[in-house]
Amino acid sequence: MKSNSKQSVFKKLISARGMGQVLTVTVGLIILSIVFGILNPTFASSKNVGNLLRQIAPIILIGIGQSYVLITGNIDLSIGSVVGMSCMISATLMTKGMNPWVAVLVTIFCCLAVGLINGELVAKCKLPPFIATLGTMTIARGIAQIVNNNYNTDSIGDAAKGFRNFFYYGKVLGLYNTIWIAIILWIIFNFLLSKTRTGRHVYAIGSNIDAAQLSGVNVVATTVKAYLVSAFCASIVGLIICATTGMGTMDAGNMYEMYAVAASVIGGVSTLGGQGILLGTVIGAAIWGVLQNGLQFAGAPVAIRNIVIGIIVVVSVLLDVVVRSGKPRKKKV
Amino acid sequence: MEEYMVELHGVTKRFPGVLALDNVDFNLRGGEVLALLGENGAGKSTLMKILSGVYSKDEGTIQIFGKDVEDMSPKRAQELGVAIIHQELNMCKHLTVAENIFLDREITKYGVLADKEMEKQAKEILDKLNIDISPKTIVGDLAVSKQQMVEIAKALSTNAKVLIMDEPTSALTSKEIEDLFRIIKKLKEEGCGIVYISHRLEELQHIVDRVTILRDGQYITSMNFKDTDLGEIISNMVGREIKEKFPRVSCKKGKKILEVKNLNAGHMVRNINFDLYEGEIVGIAGLMGAGRTETTRAIFGIDAKESGEIYLEGKEVIIQKPMDAIRAGIVLAPEDRKKDGLCTKLSVRENIALSNLDFLCNKFGVVNQSKEIEMTDATVEDLRIKLPNNEVNAGSLSGGNQQKVVVGKWLARNSKVVIFDEPTRGIDVSAKVEIYNLMNQLKLQGIGVLFVSSEMPEVMGISDRVIVMCDGKITGHLNKEEATQDIILKYATQFDQKIGVAE
Repeated sequence: MKSNSKQSVFKKLISARGMGQVLTVTVGLIILSIVFGILNPTFASSKNVGNLLRQIAPIILIGIGQSYVLITGNIDLSIGSVVGMSCMISATLMTKGMNPWVAVLVTIFCCLAVGLINGELVAKCKLPPFIATLGTMTIARGIAQIVNNNYNTDSIGDAAKGFRNFFYYGKVLGLYNTIWIAIILWIIFNFLLSKTRTGRHVYAIGSNIDAAQLSGVNVVATTVKAYLVSAFCASIVGLIICATTGMGTMDAGNMYEMYAVAASVIGGVSTLGGQGILLGTVIGAAIWGVLQNGLQFAGAPVAIRNIVIGIIVVVSVLLDVVVRSGKPRKKKV
Repeated sequence: MEEYMVELHGVTKRFPGVLALDNVDFNLRGGEVLALLGENGAGKSTLMKILSGVYSKDEGTIQIFGKDVEDMSPKRAQELGVAIIHQELNMCKHLTVAENIFLDREITKYGVLADKEMEKQAKEILDKLNIDISPKTIVGDLAVSKQQMVEIAKALSTNAKVLIMDEPTSALTSKEIEDLFRIIKKLKEEGCGIVYISHRLEELQHIVDRVTILRDGQYITSMNFKDTDLGEIISNMVGREIKEKFPRVSCKKGKKILEVKNLNAGHMVRNINFDLYEGEIVGIAGLMGAGRTETTRAIFGIDAKESGEIYLEGKEVIIQKPMDAIRAGIVLAPEDRKKDGLCTKLSVRENIALSNLDFLCNKFGVVNQSKEIEMTDATVEDLRIKLPNNEVNAGSLSGGNQQKVVVGKWLARNSKVVIFDEPTRGIDVSAKVEIYNLMNQLKLQGIGVLFVSSEMPEVMGISDRVIVMCDGKITGHLNKEEATQDIILKYATQFDQKIGVAE
């Protein structure tokens, strides 16, 4: 019970909130990587690792967004469609000749509007988050389709070269910019979640919404902020996809809501709210990436990869529900 | 009027269908401990929730330190120096002790949480209270009593001048209660006003200066504690005359039908022993949280039993899940009709059929409609359920008729024991009488009726025998002649003492 000031750094690391679970999945990640590396040595080549990291970066980003929402005890299903919306809006604006950076700002603004609506629907109107965001998911996908009259856009052209380099092709210190974006945003959002009042309130309302409310926490504002983070992350991912392909595709971000939940849940974020850390989300996203990439190298078709990821998510949630609902909650009185 | 820290005048609060508080006055001085007393549903918690901003009042005025306060909210109350420790634990179980104590009052430096500082201050508060818990502990890992202490520490950490404690001792051990009383005395010396709500009347003498008594949502009286005694307090708490008439029927007590031996299930059901005879109504009285509902749930197989035996007509029955109880012939009409008793959006016919589908269906699982309609008609007629037709939603019926449907669905099964949990809650007087008649009708048919009720007059008016529970234990068995409100309440507040059995 007593806190020991002489605790070693390692011990402190282990005892930090949520670290136990993160270390467990990290071991899983290492084992998976070794297995795939043995099965196919090209998996471990530096070129593939670079690609793999670039593949994982967007999943880390949407994972961060989804984790925020999950920790408040809600869910954001619209996240994948917002990715598509972001991709299509930015590409359409650029093909119409708008300055790429202005287009980026407009895009992010539009996506945040979806996040705001999600938050208001869930927190203020008290809609079940599953249904509310299922609705906005469909709406956002519809917007992605309508902005360019139901067509994918043409190439965003040479004017957008700086934009494409910034989000995808450029490198700094030997790492692709996409990876840097993920790292920087992770640092920012991890700081906000673990070191600020708002972050603390995100955990509090996910843990016990009544207690939070009675302590004076503004539940509506906090929930809205979580959904805004989610929408913001999704908009950045949409921009990355637009920069990658150089055009707007209407089904960009398809299935990403699933990947976002996968990264969060595999990384130890509880779907019951109140628990999880963003470091876990990174590991979860990495496991997702290694599985996708490794199975691809092993020659497994997309269908098999989907089935494997799906099974892992269900098992993770199952473990979460079994372990968590069994442990801290005392017997019903 | 300077002397009062808190003054409430004419506070009225309505909940749908209930007048929870009716023109209540309340005041509190600095440096005193005031016990707010009353039976279940007297309005104590509601009044305190209004004072602490959890509920808004419908009418009346709130004055704190002589100033009128209109826009009460939990946050506002905190700013004004009013803190409340709620009856139900209100902690974020995934957060640490320090994080809970400083929830929404986090200390930040340049926008960054100052965890070290908060832990240090939390430690100081805990030390002051003599509570040996590390501020870094996750609250969910603590025992319930420790969580309660953290809740108290949290309330004190706001430097509240007015502290409301709603049943603070229910989860505490005697040593912890001593610590709490020591803290209360210290706060009192510092000039705080403390409102203390408790059913444990025997605790009062240690700390209380004054008592205020509510009954049925109305202010009854305030007295200095030293000028009164427990007898006077109890009679003020229950003091209503029994105006309602209870239809009592007498019939011959048959053979023993149900026997419960040494039943244990969690700390709300401890070593329960009783029996029930054919043609008998046994009432279970007690205060909120006495373990009555939990006992019925354990008997019916909803909650797991730790030990104990149940005998039905002399033979032991193993009940692990509700289906076992139903098959044996023990049925339950649960406390919350709308939540646990009925599928409110299904028709009356479907509700009655639901628990009897096993013999309404043929061997391919197809429901025999004519049998179903026949059964519904018979039940509706038997119980005189008033409804336009059998196809209306169960939820559209009046409370009394809903209750009849809940019971009716069981009667088609030839049940031997019927357990009612708060059967008359939230229904009007005439419907109540119908429920009493229904119980009597069951009794005349030779069925054993067990019923839990918080309304003492009806327990006394209808039961042939009364079992009184307190704190998960049976504290008294009373015959109908012995059962008076005072005696029932005496047993119902018999916490942690030798079990008294009036024979």
